Amino acid sequence: MIEAHDLTKRYGSKTAVDGISFTVQPGRVTGFLGPNGAGKSTTMRMIVGLDRPTHGTVTVNGRPYAEHRSPLTQVGALLEAKAVHTGRSARNHLRAIAATHGIGDKRVNEVISMTGLDTVAKRRVGGFSLGMGQRLGIAAALVGDPQTLILDEPVNGLDPEGVLWVRNLVKYLAASEGRTVFLSSHLMSEMAVTADHLIVIGRGKIIADGPVDTVISEATRATVRVRSPQATDLAARLAGPAVTVTPAEDGLLEVHGATAAEVGEIAAASGIVLHELTPLQGSLEDAYMSLTSEAVEYHSAALPGEESRHAGAHAAATTTGEDAR
Amino acid sequence: MSTAVATEPHRHATPLKDQKLGFGHLLRGEWIKFWSVRSTTWTLSIFLIATVGLVVLISLAFVNVPSPEEGGPPEGTAGNPLDPLSIAVTLAQLAVAVLGALTITSEYSTGMIRSSLTAVPKRLPMLWSKAIVLVVSVFAVAVVAVAIAMALQWLFFDSQGFSVDATDPEIIRPLVGTAVYLATIALFSYSLGALMRHSAAALATVLGVLLVAPILFSAIPWKPLQQAFPFLPGVAGQQFTQTTEQLEVAAASSGPGVVDLTAWAGYGVLIAWIVVILGVAAVLLKRRDA
Repeated sequence: MIEAHDLTKRYGSKTAVDGISFTVQPGRVTGFLGPNGAGKSTTMRMIVGLDRPTHGTVTVNGRPYAEHRSPLTQVGALLEAKAVHTGRSARNHLRAIAATHGIGDKRVNEVISMTGLDTVAKRRVGGFSLGMGQRLGIAAALVGDPQTLILDEPVNGLDPEGVLWVRNLVKYLAASEGRTVFLSSHLMSEMAVTADHLIVIGRGKIIADGPVDTVISEATRATVRVRSPQATDLAARLAGPAVTVTPAEDGLLEVHGATAAEVGEIAAASGIVLHELTPLQGSLEDAYMSLTSEAVEYHSAALPGEESRHAGAHAAATTTGEDAR
Repeated sequence: MSTAVATEPHRHATPLKDQKLGFGHLLRGEWIKFWSVRSTTWTLSIFLIATVGLVVLISLAFVNVPSPEEGGPPEGTAGNPLDPLSIAVTLAQLAVAVLGALTITSEYSTGMIRSSLTAVPKRLPMLWSKAIVLVVSVFAVAVVAVAIAMALQWLFFDSQGFSVDATDPEIIRPLVGTAVYLATIALFSYSLGALMRHSAAALATVLGVLLVAPILFSAIPWKPLQQAFPFLPGVAGQQFTQTTEQLEVAAASSGPGVVDLTAWAGYGVLIAWIVVILGVAAVLLKRRDA
């Protein structure tokens, strides 16, 4: 179990992590989701004591990571794939790490074959591809057979088979063995199929913390697109406490909080002509965008033709972002 | 390349009980790290070859010095059979200095330090165990280098009366002292590496201190520099590689007001440098984000 309380990290005047508190429970996979620069890696580094919190505390199984007598059997961490001496072979890298805890070569060989590194284990790490480096990082995290696994972007650079393997591994460790698994990603789709629980972070603050289904359904509110020559009139009649209406372009409205049937009935009751009435299902990406759009550190310029969709996501964020908090 | 992975995600073939972080385990881990990179074998091989080769070559030059009648130096000023080793070590020490610095800075330049500190979150035990492995390894190789060099000197030049008597206690101290000095210089360099965390910066500083500073300090005719000269880490430490007789000869020619350190005092000065630098490095290691 990982418990963070009021965890804060500042680098100079920049606040990377801003007073976050959360708990990662054993027996389930907890996803840590957020855009680049949101504070995921900094938080994970603070858990294993690589970064010192500016204030606040974080404990693993009841005590700070550094206080454990056997850190590597408590926590296995993959924080960045290339935290490896490039001149050393993969096998010697693992042997050296294992030896610090008195773990023998037998276990090293086990994790090598478990991560599919057998054929390259004797090669120097400098020549490894991103995916191989990632497998080595996972092997290093597993070598102590830890109670708690912390993986920062574990599927980065992995081939589809590797992605599937990581997914099955973490699910197995959490569900069947009751271990604590905390993994970060900036990919909502990956989280949706891997995690049981989600903690969403943006700009150093927690935006959402709950079961995956709940977080997604709260973030993806059903949207109805309706086109009418009397759009302004219709918008006025639709608007209510639970319903937000966003004019997208001339004669086109995006309605949140009402079903297509309700919109149609209100229009009929008021004698308003409709040219289009389309229920839109919120996608995972929309949910993610709406959760984090306010909190994205590095915005990309919108492509031509994408403005309307972007505007919609922004408008949704103003409401759902507040709800989630 | 096969990327096949085990279909069964996790196995418990090896029960991992009573395995914990201990200093003995840590030494073992650092030992594997030290000997599994090429820079270690490269620098130690260069050191070994340089020491042995230079001792033989310089000894050859010494025995071929012309006699005073043929215009050579006056009797008694040339010809201590320990001199070739001293000169060889002045150069060959650079190899172990490079090794000492790289032992720690390469972890920073490659990112390995984050893996190391995750395994040893208290951090300082890693700094100490790495230092111990370095010192023990360099000392062992230096003993071998000195032994081979002295054996070859005896083999080739004993007939010309140019060799050392390795059973003479007066000679054993400088011979062992040479190996001790080399291990200590490696540690000095390691301390600077731990402080600077950057290979190029640490190497430039170490080479500056060991090579350039002695030349500058003795060449510039400014009293404070000349008085500070004996306290330079390399200069002070090398006192330990000299016989008492050699030190007395050197002291006789040193300028007025310049301190003449004994072998042990000189070594003490080098240790003091290390204590200060490694102490600051340890405090910073504990405090800084990795």
